[in-house]
Order: sequence, then C-alpha cells, then structure tokens
Amino acid sequence: MFARGLRLLAAQACQAPTIQHLSLSAPCGAIQKLTRVRVVDNSTLGSTPYHRPPKCIHVYNKSGVGKVGDRILLAIKGQKKKALIVGHKMPGASMTPRFDSNNVVLIEDNGNPVGTRIKTPIPTSLRRHDGEFSKVLAIAQNFV
Amino acid sequence: MAVGMNWRLLCSVRKQLLNRVTAGTERNISCVFITRGIQSSTWWDEHLSEENKQFLKRVTAEEYHAQTASKLCPLKDEPWPTKPWEPGSNRVGVIAVKLGMMPIWTKSGDRHAVTMLQVRDCHVVKYTPKEEFDGKTASLTVGGKNVSPFYKPESAMELYREAGVPPKQKISIFKVSDNAILKPGTPLYAAHFRPGQFVDITAKTIGKGFQGVMKRWGYKGQPASHGQTKTHRRPGAISSGDPARVFPGTKMPGRMGNVYRTSYALKVWRVNTKHNIIYVNGSVPGHTNCLVKVTDTKLHGKKLSENLPFPTYFADGDEELPEDLYDDEVFQFSEPSVKYV
Amino acid sequence: MRELGQSAFRISCSQCACPEAVPHVCMGGRDMALSVRSLRLIQHRFGFSPPVRLLTDGEPTKFQPPPKPVIIDKTKSKESERRFLSPEFIPPRCRKDPLKFYLERKDMIERRKVLDVPEFYVGSILAVTMADAYSSGKRNRFVGICIQRSGNGLGATFVLRNVIEGQGVEMRYDLYSPRIQEIQVLKLEKRLDGNLMYLRDALPEYSTFDFNMKPALSVSEGEVPVNQLKVKMKPRPWSKRWERPKHNIQGIRFELYLTERHIEAARKLARPWEEFDMLKEYDTTKIEQKVWEEVNKEINRPKAP
Repeated sequence: MFARGLRLLAAQACQAPTIQHLSLSAPCGAIQKLTRVRVVDNSTLGSTPYHRPPKCIHVYNKSGVGKVGDRILLAIKGQKKKALIVGHKMPGASMTPRFDSNNVVLIEDNGNPVGTRIKTPIPTSLRRHDGEFSKVLAIAQNFV
Repeated sequence: MAVGMNWRLLCSVRKQLLNRVTAGTERNISCVFITRGIQSSTWWDEHLSEENKQFLKRVTAEEYHAQTASKLCPLKDEPWPTKPWEPGSNRVGVIAVKLGMMPIWTKSGDRHAVTMLQVRDCHVVKYTPKEEFDGKTASLTVGGKNVSPFYKPESAMELYREAGVPPKQKISIFKVSDNAILKPGTPLYAAHFRPGQFVDITAKTIGKGFQGVMKRWGYKGQPASHGQTKTHRRPGAISSGDPARVFPGTKMPGRMGNVYRTSYALKVWRVNTKHNIIYVNGSVPGHTNCLVKVTDTKLHGKKLSENLPFPTYFADGDEELPEDLYDDEVFQFSEPSVKYV
Repeated sequence: MRELGQSAFRISCSQCACPEAVPHVCMGGRDMALSVRSLRLIQHRFGFSPPVRLLTDGEPTKFQPPPKPVIIDKTKSKESERRFLSPEFIPPRCRKDPLKFYLERKDMIERRKVLDVPEFYVGSILAVTMADAYSSGKRNRFVGICIQRSGNGLGATFVLRNVIEGQGVEMRYDLYSPRIQEIQVLKLEKRLDGNLMYLRDALPEYSTFDFNMKPALSVSEGEVPVNQLKVKMKPRPWSKRWERPKHNIQGIRFELYLTERHIEAARKLARPWEEFDMLKEYDTTKIEQKVWEEVNKEINRPKAP
C-alpha cells in the first residue's frame, strides 16, 4: 500500500513539467507583471506541482521590466513570495546569455535563498551584485 | 547613370527641336518643349555644344584643383597673425558630411556607437568683423563640400570668387572671438578637433512630412475598441471653454522634422587625419550624407580649450600627426585582446 | 600554423622514399624520436657520454602513444584552397559613402591580424573564449552551434546556442569585440538553412552539444560539407510560423506537424514574383572579388619589424 502510494507520487512528479504548461501561449519575453516564470531552485515551494503556474505580480525596479539581478514578487501556490531573476527570454546586451525560459530563484525577504541548490546555468553577470546575492551565488552550480 | 543618359537624350532632342523651330515657325512654340529647372529658368548648358560643355567641365575641375592647392599652405600665403589662446575665446567650427555609424570599444571592453563625420573641402569663406556683424562678436563664414558652379547664382558665386575657393554646397556662420579669426580661404581639417573633447552638432533632422499628434508629440491616442467611433489617433480637446480660444503653441498635427536641431556635448573618440574623419559619440541629427555643423561645445562643464590647436590646425604647421588619433580609453584594433585581471 | 606543420612533415618525408604525388601517411613523432636516438648513438660511438644513460635516463620512460597520422594530400596546391570571405565584409546595398565601408574594413583587418577569426558558417559548432570580469578565471568558454550570423562591418555578430542541464542558452557575440580571445571551430559544416533560429522550437537534442567536444579535422579544400539533417519540432505553436514561405525553411520535418490545410494557407503567402524583381537584385560577385583581394593582401602581408 505504502509502496504504491510512493509510486503514484513519483509518477506525479514525472508529469509535473507537462502539467505546469497549461497555457498554450509562449511565455513573455520581458518579465513584467503577470509573466509566467520558472522556478529553478530545488525548494519544495517551487518544485511541487500546482494547477496554476507561478506568476510575477510586481517588479521591484523603476522601469517595471525585470532584468537579471532584479527582485520580483511572485504569486506561487496561492501565496506571495519574493524571487530573484536569474535569466530571461528577452535578449539583453551582447555577450550575455539569453535563456529559453524566464528563470527565477525564490528568496526570503532578507535575500537568503529558499532552496539549497540551483542546477540550471546562471549568468556570471549576477556577480556584479555580489554583496547582495552572495548566498544565491553560493548555491549555484553552473555559470555561463 | 540612367538619369544622365536621359538628360543627354533630352538635350539632343531639344537641340533638334530648336533647330527645326528656329528654321521655320515663331519661337513661342519652342518654349513649350523646353524643360525648366527648379532654380534657373534655363539649363546651364542649354545653348552649348557637347564639346563646349566638356571643356567647361574640365576647366572647372582644373580650376578647383589649382585653388585648393594654392590654399593648402596658408602660412606661406601671407597668413593673418595667429594669437594665443585665452580663457573665453571661441574657435571656429567645421562643416562635415555624415557618413554613418559604427561601433567602437573601450579598453575595458565596453561597446559604444559612434557617428563618422567627414570634413570634406571645408574652407573659411568670409570674415565679417564685429562692427558689420552684430557689434558684439566677429564671425567667420565656413563652407563645406565642393559643388558645381553652374547651378549657383551669380550673387552667390561672388562670395566664393572673393575668397578664392570653389563654390560650396553649404555655408554656415560661426561666431568667433577676436583672437581666433582666420583668413578667408584657410582650409579646415578634422584635426581641428581632438579626441577627448566634446562637440555640439547642428543639422536638419530627417523630414517626416505631415504627421498626426501621436507620432509628432507622442500623444497616447484613444483605445482601439470599447465603443470608439472614428476616434483612435486624434488629439482630443485642444482647449477649454473658459479661454474660449486655442492658445498659441498648442501641440497639433503638422509638418514634422526638417528643422535644425543640436546635439550637445558629444565626445570625440577618435580622429582620422588622413581621410579627415571625426568619430563622435552617439547619434547625430540628420540623414546619412547630410552636412552638419560641428563646433566646440558651449556647455560649461565640458569645455576643454587649452590643448586644442588654436585658432585651427594648419596642415603645414610644425605639428606632425599620426594617421589616427585616439582617446586614451579607446581600444585600438592593433592591440592585443582585452584581458581582465 | 598549418604551413608550419606541413613543412615539418615534408622534412620527415624525405627519409622515406615514396613518390611525392601519392597521398601518404607519415608518423611524424616517431621519425623525430628515431633521429634523436641515432644522434645519441653517434654520441656514444665517439664516446661522449656513458652508454648506460643512453636510452633511459635512470628510469624507464613512460609509454607514449604515437601521434595521430596526418594525411597530407600533395596533389593539391594552395591554389585549390577554398576561398572564403566573411559575409560582414560585403557592404549592404545603400547610399552610404564607400569610404565608410573602406574605413571599417581597415579596422576589421587590423583586428583580424591580432585575433584569428576562422572560417565558419551557420550550422558550424564553435567554441568561443571571451574575457569576462565576473566569471572565475576571468575567462568564459562557451560551446554551441552557430544559429545566426548578422550585421555587417565592425558590428557583425553571431549567435551560439546550446542546451545546458535542459536549459536552452544562447549567446550573441560581437565578432570584432576585443573581449573575444579565441574562436575555435569544432565542426565545420553547413546546414540546409542560412538561419537556424527554428532550433529554439526544435527538440532540445538538436541543440545539445558537449562542452568537452574534440575539434574535428576539417579540410581546407573543396566544398564545405552540408549536413542534410531535418529536425523534429516541439508541438505547435512555435515562436514563428516557420512553414511560411518568407522563412524558406528546408530543415524541418513539416509533414509531421502540419495538415494539408496549414500548408495550403502558408502557400498562399508565397511571393514567387519577387525573385524576378530587378530592382531588388544585388549582385555582389564583383564586390566580393575586390574585397577579397584587398583583405587577403593585407592579412597575408608580413608584419613590419
């Protein structure tokens, strides 16, 4: 009985990426209000499936368009959580990476990351704000 | 090329017609067939044979060459005495052709866009002393880019003949201080400006024609739907009931562009002395190949006049310049690649 | 570099007496070792050094695999080498002064004298090393397939694409940026299309490349091999409607994703008359020839002492 339950759970976890994309339209290039984003760390909040994808509901900068290194407010699993942008679909300056999805890392209000590991590659230009995000950079494994 | 062919064809046809007309009927009929120019009532070569035309062209080219060659050495050509720089003195500017844009990199690896401006056949044409100009400052008239003399009116040609330079496509007036005056006929070069200084650039912006308020003034317009009837890009109200009139200067549709605009304090990154190119930071008003007016900046924080050639750079002076002058920060392409330590 | 290698091998070839015209295999390294050994033997005969330390310096030498055989085809001269002019050298059709393009070209040549910019095409796999103030070691190496070359003059760029940890990553490089330290071609080939932006919508395995990939040997003669690969796509919608004739894509297996209706709708947008539009014609062969001569002369010129 317990084993079967485990297997079911595992099956659900496998399906998770397919379930997440309920919307057929492509994600926005720019990260602004109501952009669907992808949480790339291994926090339970970001990785467990939910029927509604995480969405940006505020960008903490003056232009309203989030770039690498900006903080945003996420609506994720029915709660509000802050996140740090670590890659976006919109092309930035030349010689900086452009990603196929809008990647964020969940952070607490004080800037500490929620998860313990980031597997997806992260732009090195985040090190420019080294003092602020040093704990996020410490858990990252790949840089491009 | 095709245009030239047509012209020649037209000329020959007209000549034939003229011959036929003068032979028999009265002259009125011939006028119907003659195509008029925009500025002159007749073509300059209307009554010339092909040989005469070619001859005139050749003579003009030779004359231009001779004039420019004689002006190349103004110092030997009884120059006006040069005076040293003092605080508050204003140098003359130049007229340059806008060639286009390209990127430039600094030694730190940053990329900047620059506009290339070529100083082409730029000469001082006329000196107007203080009393004749406005009573406050003297002025120098500078012309740029040689053109054909055949389309210039006689009144304009007089000016160039006095200065002894070929006629120019564009002339412009620069206010200069008394110690910076130059003899008419002095050629101006790109080395007049030096890397690291800041310049102001004035030119006519690209004409956009008659435009609505959304393009011309950046109005928001109205929504596309939600019950709008024939109101999508309109200005809305232009005044209220209390003044019961439209204030002068209200933003409305009209002709956009084709006015003189100035970009202030653009940095000079690089100067090419061989081809007379100035590489100026950022964009510049006007279309490609238009003639722009380049002066030292008038913004106080950016002025830098001590180390500049005063009153201008003379090609035959003591100063030996390399082909390219660079700002200290600019990456030169012959250097090894940038490395961070 | 290539010429150096050839000359070295030519020396070694003189030892084995085989006809010059036949393409043959030389073991360069072993020959070198042989000559060293014979030298030492000579030394021994004349009694310069003790015989014990002749071949082994005290301890047995580690086995070293012989170097890979390099096949040199001497039937082909330098004339038959492929001519390649980078596309950014060709000025666009416009009313700008040719002097502007000449000046840019001069700077490009200056840069190419410092940095070796190899021949590559859209579809080739490249490894680019650039200076990066923020990465560890202050250098950043990226491997990926070139999916686009754009821009002309000094502003020329190219885009590399790779999939790392299931995450598609693209980098746009300025070809003449001084931050670029090395451009290495890992695999020189063309694809069916001149622009591979559709790889964004293709399955990730088509743009996944190993960072430790070994460079494949490329030949400098003959035509560049064209990879006839046709890719499978992710389910629609795609970022662009690649089936439309304006993209003119050959490298997608459309038959798997489109119905007859879709294909018919796309076909209606075709503009077959445009190829006969003489006003849009821009023949670059003469310009290309001129520029190639200019560039080649400058780059091959020896440096002034």
